[in-house]
Amino acid sequence: MEPLLLSKRERRKLASQYAELCLTCGTCAGGCPVTGVDGLDVRKVVRLAVLGLDQEIIDSKFPWVCTMCGRCEHACPMNIDLLKLLRSARAMRDRDKVPGVLHKGVEMCLKTGNNVGIPEEDFKFLLEDLGAELAEELPGFEVPVDKKGAKYLFTINSKEPFAEPEDMMFWWRILYAAGESWTVASKNWEGVNWGLFTGDDEAMKEIVGRLVQNYKELECEYLVLPE
Amino acid sequence: MDKSVHQELTTYHDPCNYARKSERTFGHGYYEEPRWVLQQCCENFVEMYPNRANNFCCGGGGGAWASPYTEERIFYGRVKAKQIKDTGAKLLIAPCHNCRDQIMKSLRKEYDFMDVEVKYLWELVADSLIIEPREE
Repeated sequence: MEPLLLSKRERRKLASQYAELCLTCGTCAGGCPVTGVDGLDVRKVVRLAVLGLDQEIIDSKFPWVCTMCGRCEHACPMNIDLLKLLRSARAMRDRDKVPGVLHKGVEMCLKTGNNVGIPEEDFKFLLEDLGAELAEELPGFEVPVDKKGAKYLFTINSKEPFAEPEDMMFWWRILYAAGESWTVASKNWEGVNWGLFTGDDEAMKEIVGRLVQNYKELECEYLVLPE
Repeated sequence: MDKSVHQELTTYHDPCNYARKSERTFGHGYYEEPRWVLQQCCENFVEMYPNRANNFCCGGGGGAWASPYTEERIFYGRVKAKQIKDTGAKLLIAPCHNCRDQIMKSLRKEYDFMDVEVKYLWELVADSLIIEPREE
């Protein structure tokens, strides 16, 4: 291993202004279920960041096996923004090195309006079809698509129309029983923002912006992200 | 609500985003609201330990459910699995897609508690509703 010349280290990008407050107490790592995986833990990540060894963190898989659950941050006696540190390490990876399907999902969402690329016609057909099925039990039920002035605009987790469509009926039953006015947008209805996971703030903002645009154009009172 | 539909001992998983992270981000953690909703549907409720802000993550959050690190994700979930099994509950309410999938589709099998049923919070409500069909 090459000695680390602290005088020649690159300017630190990952270390937040608070990381130097770390007492190295290890409370963060002590309550984390993935401590030790990939030879790292939250406390060590903070030390690496303070030393300016950003690239080691970025190249390790630790920030990705971390679930960003925030238990470490909640426990930290010095209130260090550990989640920001870990998520920034994700953000600083080249996009083609983001593990698995996450970045592909982000790109798909930007391109098609949902993470799995369900075409609008298929989506509308599915809602109509499932709605008709539920109407056999609940007379008069239908899925209101693009209904202007509805009270609630519901987003949908694309997993449901893609793989578990009947699970959408749980909410529909509740809304029917409550007699609420609600709607689903035909475009950009994705309720899952994978930009959050990949550290991609720009994509995240764009995807949120589209939801807000739907909400404004449909003149709804509440935007619901039911998950 | 018909409480007779869910008579089994029921426990609740605090998702990071509803609980700890909402408290951090918005100044209010949604700890009590889901418990209130749950107890409108279930008579027999038991807390897992620890809970609320100190609850353990299911291991599927932050994109882990969609990531290729399967072995690490399952290893992570061992703590959650133990918490659930220790309650003795036969129904677990997990009001987050990630948590529900990780626990229902993966941890139950890996850590041998297939006898525990997993539902979303809104699934529990939908299944407990006494709905009066509207006239058309």
